[in-house]
Amino acid sequence: MNLNELIATEKLCERYSVEHTFIRSLNNSGLLEVITVEKREYVHCNKMAEFEKMLRLHYDLKINLEGLEAIKHLLDRVTDLKEDNLALRNRLGLYE
Amino acid sequence: MEFIDYYKALELNKSASQADIKKAYRKLARKYHPDLNPDDASAKARFQKINEANEVLSDPEKRKKFDEYGKDWQHADQFEQEKQQRGQQGGGFGDFGRGQGQAYSGNFDDDNFSDFFEQMFGGGARSRGTGRSPQYKGQDFNAELQLSLTDVFTSHKQTLTVNGKSIRLTIPAGVENGQTIKISGHGGPGAQGGPKGDLFITFKILNNTNFKREKENLYSNVDLDFYAAILGGEITVDTFEGKVKLNIKPETQNDTRVKLKGKGFPKYKKEGQFGDLFITYNIKVPTDLTSKEKELYTELQKLRA
Repeated sequence: MNLNELIATEKLCERYSVEHTFIRSLNNSGLLEVITVEKREYVHCNKMAEFEKMLRLHYDLKINLEGLEAIKHLLDRVTDLKEDNLALRNRLGLYE
Repeated sequence: MEFIDYYKALELNKSASQADIKKAYRKLARKYHPDLNPDDASAKARFQKINEANEVLSDPEKRKKFDEYGKDWQHADQFEQEKQQRGQQGGGFGDFGRGQGQAYSGNFDDDNFSDFFEQMFGGGARSRGTGRSPQYKGQDFNAELQLSLTDVFTSHKQTLTVNGKSIRLTIPAGVENGQTIKISGHGGPGAQGGPKGDLFITFKILNNTNFKREKENLYSNVDLDFYAAILGGEITVDTFEGKVKLNIKPETQNDTRVKLKGKGFPKYKKEGQFGDLFITYNIKVPTDLTSKEKELYTELQKLRA
């Protein structure tokens, strides 16, 4: 694991003015992967877009953690269905 | 420049209270927020309008100005001048400072307020966010790249210009129509040391061949001579990489499908592996028969009777 790609959770708390408990709750709910290296917690930079999305939904739209879990599940399903739809559309080309 | 009815945008009437505005805004923002409507341009546009409406209507000064001029916003300057000449006090068109409303944030272009807003309230009139730093990671960029089917038969390098910056990337063979690939770190710069955003490229593959494609398999129809179908023979068919000879079995039926293993499209990110080419025979029955031919076919018919 490249440490340069990891962002310390305390830095995120400071940057976004959020409590550490929020990050921990996201982690416990499976909404955000937190990596521990030498007793220090980090988030991979690849997960930042997802983290920022959760942050916006929680603080801007006042959606609680259970709501975030439901939204994440539904958005994942939307993504899967979009992929299926694309595959079917491409397949439709065989019959046109 | 088009007039925007901010009351209509929030589905309110002019007598709406601040509590009504807040409630309507929250309700509509939850419905149209871009995070909840990924890749939906119409929801994004609607959300921007809702954000803008809230920006104006939740700020008493801006709301007053909007109510006063509304559709006559183009003549607002003139009205203001007349007012001043009459010795009345009126609000200028400069920066109103930080508004009362809170525009929702996000990694999307919610900064794009309409020309109507900019004209009426000035560029500095918008309030910024919730006070929480909305972005640390840089903005993600999206681009569409149009290629032909023959282009994506082999991996090749291509230079793209994204936001004035040239990026040389390798497009892997076998990429599919509608597929999106992520180029990490080629988006906007991060804020305060945050990571750069990513570049997402969606491919639009135009089929410039007679083959039909499904993932790594190719399909084509080949006309087959009636006699070759009955008696067997050899034909030459097109594959993506050139012509190949094919043996025809005697008594081949119409719509028979044969598989040419490994003659299909490259498998995405599996170098050296190819799908198959499926050829469907379309047997051409002879037309304009001579009397001699008819006689011989009748003879053949009698033999089968």
